[in-house]
This record gives sequence, C-alpha cells and structure tokens, in this order.
Amino acid sequence: MRSDKIIETELLELLPKDRANDPTGKRLAELLARISMKKIPVNSFSRIWTLGSLQARVTAGYLAYWLRSRFRNADEKQRLKSEAHLAAALQLFGAMGYLRGAVMKVGQMLANLPEVVPEEFAEVLSALHFEAPPMHFAMVREVFLDEFGREPEELFATFDRQAFAAASLGQVHRARLHSGEEVAVKIQYPGIARTIKADLRNLRLLLQPLCLTIDWQDTLAKLADIERMLLMETDYTQEAMFCKLARSAFTAADQVVVPRIYDDYSTARVLTAEYLPGCHINDFLATDPGQGERDHFTRLLTVATYRLYYRLHWLPADPHPGNFIFMPDGRLGLIDFGCTLMLNDEEWIFSNVAIQAALDRDLPGLNRSMARACRFDDPDDMEPDHLEVIRQGFYWFMEPWQQEGLFDFGDRDFFMRGIDNVMEATRKGYTRSLPMTIWSNRFTFGGRAFCYKLKGRCEFRDIYLQESAGVQPNHT
Amino acid sequence: MRISEQAKQENRSRILDKAAEIFTGKGFEDSTTRDIALAAGLAAGTLFNYFPSKETLAMTMVSEALVQGREDYLRRCTGREDLAEELFLFVASGLRRLRPLRPFLGPVLERSLSPFPRKNVCHEGETARQEHLAAVQAILVRQGFTEAPDYVAMTMYWSLYLGILAFWSNDTSPNQEASQALIDYSIRMFVQLITGSGAAGGDEHAE
Ligand SMILES: Nc1ncnc2c1ncn2[C@@H]1O[C@H](COP(=O)(O)OP(=O)(O)OP(=O)(O)O)[C@@H](O)[C@H]1O
Repeated sequence: MRSDKIIETELLELLPKDRANDPTGKRLAELLARISMKKIPVNSFSRIWTLGSLQARVTAGYLAYWLRSRFRNADEKQRLKSEAHLAAALQLFGAMGYLRGAVMKVGQMLANLPEVVPEEFAEVLSALHFEAPPMHFAMVREVFLDEFGREPEELFATFDRQAFAAASLGQVHRARLHSGEEVAVKIQYPGIARTIKADLRNLRLLLQPLCLTIDWQDTLAKLADIERMLLMETDYTQEAMFCKLARSAFTAADQVVVPRIYDDYSTARVLTAEYLPGCHINDFLATDPGQGERDHFTRLLTVATYRLYYRLHWLPADPHPGNFIFMPDGRLGLIDFGCTLMLNDEEWIFSNVAIQAALDRDLPGLNRSMARACRFDDPDDMEPDHLEVIRQGFYWFMEPWQQEGLFDFGDRDFFMRGIDNVMEATRKGYTRSLPMTIWSNRFTFGGRAFCYKLKGRCEFRDIYLQESAGVQPNHT
Repeated sequence: MRISEQAKQENRSRILDKAAEIFTGKGFEDSTTRDIALAAGLAAGTLFNYFPSKETLAMTMVSEALVQGREDYLRRCTGREDLAEELFLFVASGLRRLRPLRPFLGPVLERSLSPFPRKNVCHEGETARQEHLAAVQAILVRQGFTEAPDYVAMTMYWSLYLGILAFWSNDTSPNQEASQALIDYSIRMFVQLITGSGAAGGDEHAE
C-alpha cells in the first residue's frame, strides 16, 4: 500500500486548479482532507468506505470544484449558504452507500458535465480506476447460486478463483466453458445497483434546491439524464443486448471484434463473454509501436465508432480506455457497451443535419443547429459571442471530416484547440445544452483523447464517406 | 399405546412440514399449535409429546436448517479460503438453508435468540447458538489462531450475526442481495477486530 505522503502529492497533481483563487489546488485538497477526516460512523476502519482512496478524493475534488465555480460571484450571504450545502453534498458523497464503486461511478459521470474543466479531466479520466469493492471467491459463489442455482465450477469447465480485472460495478474472472471456449465473466457486486439508485436520488434531492445558476434547470435535466444512463449500466442484460447488436455490425475483414455473449451464462448481474486476448493502450504504447501500427489501430477505432454511429445510430459514450483491447493479431477488441446512447429518430436527424450543414458550409443552417443544441429557438436569441464559441467548437469537431488524405489525431495543436474551445465555453458560462450533448461530447473527446494518446492518423474523410454511404441523413 | 420408532419419525417430520406451511401462510404469531396438530392429523395433546411449544417447533426447523448449512459449508470449503472468506462461506451457507423459513422467521428469532436474559430460555435456540459459535471457533483454529477467542470477541461476533439475521429476515431486495453486502462488511469488520489488521482478506483486486 502506498504511503499517505505520496497520495497527497499525487492528489495535488490530479486535482483541478482554479487559476485565480487556488492555482496549486492546495485549498481544495485541504477542504477534502477536512471532510475525509470527519468521522462519519463507518469511516474509521476501511478505506472502502471513505474518501480515503486517491480516486475518491480526486472525484470529490472535481465535484467540489464544479459546485464551487457555480457560486463564485454570488453575494456573501448566498455564498455562505451555498458553502454549507457544498460541504453537505461532499459529505454525502464521501459516505455514499459505502460502496466505493458507486461513488466512483457517480463521480465519473458528474465530472463529465461540460461545466467541469475537461482539459484536466481528459487526463485524469484515464488515470482513474473506477471499481467496486473486491469480492472474494465465496461471495462470487453466492452470486452464482442466486443467479444460476449452481456453483461456478459446476457451470464452467474451469473458473479462476481470482479476478483478473476490476470492473466499475464488480469484477471479471476468466473461465472456460465445457465446450472449450475461453470466456470473461463479469460479476456485479450484490446490491450495488440498488445502492447507486438510492445514492443518485439523494444526490439529486440535495442538489435540487441549490439553484446555483440561472441555467440550474438545465443542469438538473442533465443530471437526470446521467442518472438514466447510470442505471442502464447496472443491468447487464442491456449490455448483452448492445453487445450482440454491435457484434453483428462487423465482419472479419473489418478487424474489429465485439466479443460473443453467452446467454446461458449471463443474467442481469453476470455477463459471460468471449475472452479477447490482448492489452490496453498503456501496455500497447509501452511496446513502442511504430507509426504504422498506431495508424492501423486509429483507423480501426474510427471505423468502429462511425460504424456504430451510422449503422446503429449509437453514440458509444464511454471513452474509458479499458474498453479497447489491442489484440496480438492486429485486431481491435471492443468491450463494454454499458454506456451507449441510442439516438432516437429526432436526435439522429438533428445530429446529421448539423453535420451536413457544416459539410455544405451552410452558415444559416449551421447556426440553427447550434442554437437548438443550446436550447434556443433561434440563433438570434443567442448572444453573438455565445453562438460563435459554440460554432467554433463544432467546426473543430468537423475538421477531420473535411480534410482529404491522412488526418493526424496525434497533433497536439489540433487536440488542444478542441480543449481550449470547451474551456472557453465553460469559462463564459455557455454550458446550457441538450442532455444529449453530454454524450456526444464524451464520445468526441473520449475518442479523440484516445487517438491523441495513440499519436495515430487515419484517412478520416474516406472512412466517414464509406460508413455513411447509403445512409440518408434525414431518414432512418 | 406404543408406536414404532419409524412412526414417530414420520409424525415428527409431518408436524414440521405442516408447521412450516402454516407459519408461512399465517405468520408465526397468528398460528396456533391447534392449527398445526389439526393439519398433521394429530390430537393437540399428541403434538405436545413431540414439541412442547410453537417456539420449539420453529426453532427446531431453524436448528435443522443450520445443521444442513454447516454441512454445506464443510462440503463447499476448499481449504484455500482466508479467514474472512471462510466465515462468509459459513454464514452464507447457513442463510441459504434458512431461506425457505424466511417468511416467518423474524418473530421466531426475536424470541428465541434474543441476547437479553429471559425467564424461559429456548433450549433449541441456545443449542443453535452454541453450535454456531463452536463452528466459528473451529474456523478460527483452522485459520491458525492458537488461543480461543475471549468473550469480547465472541460477543461481538454474535451481535454482528444477530444483526445480520435481523436485517436479512426483513430484507426485501432480490435474493437478499443487500444482506450479502452486509455480511461481507460485517465479517471484514470482525476480522479486523480480532486480527488488528487493516487489510481483511480479499481486500485488493488482482492486478
Ligand atoms: N471479453 C473480455 N475479454 C478480455 N478482457 C475483458 C473482457 N471483458 C472485460 N475484460 C476486462 O475487464 C475490464 C473491465 O470490464 P468492463 O469494461 O466490461 O467493465 P465495466 O465495469 O463495464 O467497465 P467501465 O468501468 O468501463 O464501466 C476490461 O477493461 C478488460 O480488461
């Protein structure tokens, strides 16, 4: 276990910095320390229950930062009142349901609100592990008896006692079916879904009366959407359904694999999928891959995401790098479709109309789309600067679509321009938007941060043309 | 009139079966020994030859379930469990056998296992408690504890266990999954208490 001192230094590095009031993040760290020292009844004996872990504190830090930034300019009385609420919210957050996994999951989602500084978050996200308390094997066996009426060793030919990976709501074990297939079995910690539900409700009730901005209703609407998505993630049957649909969208020639789901071994709490051998991005990068390999995987990732978008009308909104597996035979494995937004017809058309307007350089059309995304009836209702900043962001999103030949996603300048735009929008308070934009932002920034890290290139425009071929932008 | 040992056994198990049905249907408090005798086709007086009270009847079921649970645990134990894991296996195996009795168990346990001193100690309840604690001691020995745990440790354990039972008998979550989390955390706490260590078994994920 690491010493507290290292944790403190690391914490300072990871926390968001408020340039004006708290450039080193120290004040925020102190606030967190004060709260995590408070003796809530259960916190004295296990780090599972507290803000003791680095991840928990960083997450709480983002929450605090976000909430605080909402009332920076309020008058003194309002500020004190809000600070009191903030402390209460954080304490609740720290004590939430005693399950670290749930805390992390909520934090991960909250921090994806555009109101939270995304620049650092792109970095922090990839450094954090969101995981449930580990289950020993005896507990796994109880889950199996409840779900299947049989012990894991009866159900499978072999079953590893020890999990090989942590999942956000549980853990993943390797096993082999009687018919010989190697599988990955994801098992949910008992009761975690209910805990998350209760936590989210409490958090929402606590935040509801805060009314920190004029757009508070807008924020609450997004929270509700986040809640909906989180709850979806707790049901593995949903994930299995997504997985199967996604799997059917790729052929062997695509070199993109979505694992097969084994229904006889899957329930709402247990998900059994074909095991995909390979490694995650960090291990891949550690092998010092050449440009060709980087480009190869960037292409596969781009094909994969836009295939899902055009064919299934999905936004795979979970940019977590653990969801991509670099397979030794050069294929890209896609796992975990727990956080997938299925666009409804209206959203799907809306999204394509905006893309088409940008491609056609149809400025009035584009402005109308931007206004709608920001929940204005008409572009003229928006401050010109507001419209301009949002439109710049969309132009940035569309850059790769318009360039012939190779597009370099590893270009720092390009990546930072996108980040700067979101920063500017946040700083200026231009955060009002359709809940759907949470997921499209996650989709975009998640994917681009990944390719940036990969320092990869691909012929994006060709891929877009190929994937959208035959898809009518205005019809489903 | 004397009846054969076999007939006795048959009566006894028929009474237990019928009692479980009636307790489940009416609840423990509202069931009477008369109902049970009637359902088992016996005179009320005959029933008392087997079970002197409604409470004894219910606690006999509990204790038999716990005996089966103990057997399950011994069968399922692989010898590779650490302390927390083995205790979990033991407790969970017992609860699984108690599960069919759950609909009427609350008031039964409240009466028979109450930690407060009572005028009429329920013999079956006391035996169940002793046997349960003996099994816990045996686990501790197998896990390398040389000294028998003192009354503080055992009282703590028993309090946690009663708390688990109370929560579990009233747990409305599917498969009592909320109780599973509670058992997990309670046992980790107990293990920390008696080992003085921060890390209970299974505290880290595999890398
Ligand atoms: N089919 C599989 N083949 C190989 N490894 C797998 C497979 N499924 C899961 N894993 C491993 O387990 C980890 C967690 O799985 P998964 O991403 O499905 O969990 P999750 O809890 O849904 O994750 P998230 O935190 O992204 O919500 C993965 O990062 C991967 O390392």
